[in-house]
Amino acid sequence: MIDGARPDAGDLTLSAARPKAAHPRVRLEGVGKDFVDKKGATLTVLESIDLTVEEGEFVAIVGPSGCGKSTLLRHISGLMPPTRGSVFVDGALVTEPPPDVGFMFQRDTLLPWASVYDNIRVGLQLNGTPQDAFEPRIGQLLDLLGLKAFRDFLPSSLSGGMRQRVALGRLLAYAPALYLMDEPFGALDAMTKMAMGRELLRIWSLEHKSVIFVTHDIEEAVGLSDRVIVMSAHPGRIKSDYRIDLPRPRDFREVRLLPRFRDLCETIWRDIGLE
Amino acid sequence: MSVDALSEKAEFQRRARFIWLRGLAEKTGVFLGAIALWEILARTVIDPFWMSMPSLVAERLWKLAVSGDLLYHTQATVLQAMLGLVSGLLVGVAAGVVLTRYSRAAEAMNPIIMGLYSLPRIALAPLFIIWFGIGLLSKVMMVFSFVVFIFLLNTMQGLRAVDQDLVDLMRSMRAKPGFIAWRVQFPSILPWLVNAARISVGLALIGSVLGELLGANRGLGWYVEYSGGRLDTTGVFAGLVALMVVAIALNTVVDLVERWLVPTRP
Ligand SMILES: Nc1ncnc2c1ncn2[C@@H]1O[C@H](COP(=O)(O)OP(=O)(O)OP(=O)(O)O)[C@@H](O)[C@H]1O
Ligand SMILES: [Mg+2]
Repeated sequence: MIDGARPDAGDLTLSAARPKAAHPRVRLEGVGKDFVDKKGATLTVLESIDLTVEEGEFVAIVGPSGCGKSTLLRHISGLMPPTRGSVFVDGALVTEPPPDVGFMFQRDTLLPWASVYDNIRVGLQLNGTPQDAFEPRIGQLLDLLGLKAFRDFLPSSLSGGMRQRVALGRLLAYAPALYLMDEPFGALDAMTKMAMGRELLRIWSLEHKSVIFVTHDIEEAVGLSDRVIVMSAHPGRIKSDYRIDLPRPRDFREVRLLPRFRDLCETIWRDIGLE
Repeated sequence: MSVDALSEKAEFQRRARFIWLRGLAEKTGVFLGAIALWEILARTVIDPFWMSMPSLVAERLWKLAVSGDLLYHTQATVLQAMLGLVSGLLVGVAAGVVLTRYSRAAEAMNPIIMGLYSLPRIALAPLFIIWFGIGLLSKVMMVFSFVVFIFLLNTMQGLRAVDQDLVDLMRSMRAKPGFIAWRVQFPSILPWLVNAARISVGLALIGSVLGELLGANRGLGWYVEYSGGRLDTTGVFAGLVALMVVAIALNTVVDLVERWLVPTRP
């Protein structure tokens, strides 16, 4: 549901005002991951990760390349079990992909033989949307993503940024309660990134889903989220956890003009620089 | 679309058609040239006893066509090839799917499969005749033995080449295995199957003709063998031409199927 604003859409303190759910959306307890290579050598990628993400919370994860951000999302999505510790989504131990979790991979994973339209349709098919709602809903998403003219194109004839938007469209079509997004704006130019970031904030403020958003872009992380988790590498651990106390609702661009925004970015930059 | 773009498009189409027509003319030219050369050689230097001559071959083909013999023999050869091809496809793909699912079994069976695959199929002929007689079944089995491994190996390789991230993405949205099979795995291996079909069509004809050479009373292979036995080179060439036409026709069918099933290929 992208249009049709809810009455509380403009509330500044949405997450505080909502009644607390029985379980946090995501809870990681002592999660660790080792990969064993062909020679039998063990590579510890994640170590003692404890993390809680509340319902409706927007959490960004930043950290150096190879620190295990994508691996962490795979554990939460139930695609790959951790070596140690446990993952809970909505209070249930994750052993297989839990319901209502949508994952946007770092690499755009579109069906190469399916049109833009059909790729987005997969999200609707898999969340049980009735068939007759497909056409209007996909039309709406294509509009939103600026892909209207490309609905019958195959992914191979789209640019990288357009493919990423299609993948985002599929995720939005699936409309999960928890969005796992692995550098979703990585291939976008500054302008499209701005537009998509705005759109994501708008959708999030309307629907108030939980988001775990991996990025390399600290400004993006601070601008979007309620919390920024900074990870360190070898092995990947949570180094710091910053609460982003910028006002909501935010405009993804204008928020950058606030002194507090600068401060937060500066602090996080310095934190990462100390590595 | 602007007027400019329209006329540009028309220009592009005109040019594409020109190139296509030119290609067709060149191909026809080379073909007719070769036929003419053959006819001239046969009428001047080489005795037609050895390699007949296009006019005689054409005449023979005409006679065979009119008497209905051409259809009679072609039908037999094509039917054997098709039955073997289809059964090889079904068994090969099914076995490929099962062996991919049970990779340890596949590993264990790999030497046997590769051994059977590399075996010269003609060496199996005596066994096939003992087991399946000299009727339709032995020919179909001969074709089957040629094509089944092509489908098996292509299916396994195709399934191995499926983008695991696509499967994982579907799994993350709790897609059922059937949905993943239909929306990811099947389209991924389609090009592999079409490729296998392309190789198999030629092999199926070889198998079918080979089966006829070993013992039959009809079929294009049989007709070639029969004509050869009577030193009738015109008959041999008539049979070969018919086989060639059949091969071209079957390849065209594969092309059409490919264009229909795998439209993304450039
Ligand atoms: N399937 C795998 N097998 C073996 N090693 C793996 C596997 N997946 C990831 N790794 C290793 O785990 C480490 C972390 O990988 P991961 O993809 O989670 O990093 P990342 O933080 O997402 O990096 P980036 O920011 O570059 O995307 C890397 O060193 C990588 O080589
Ligand atoms: Mg990553």
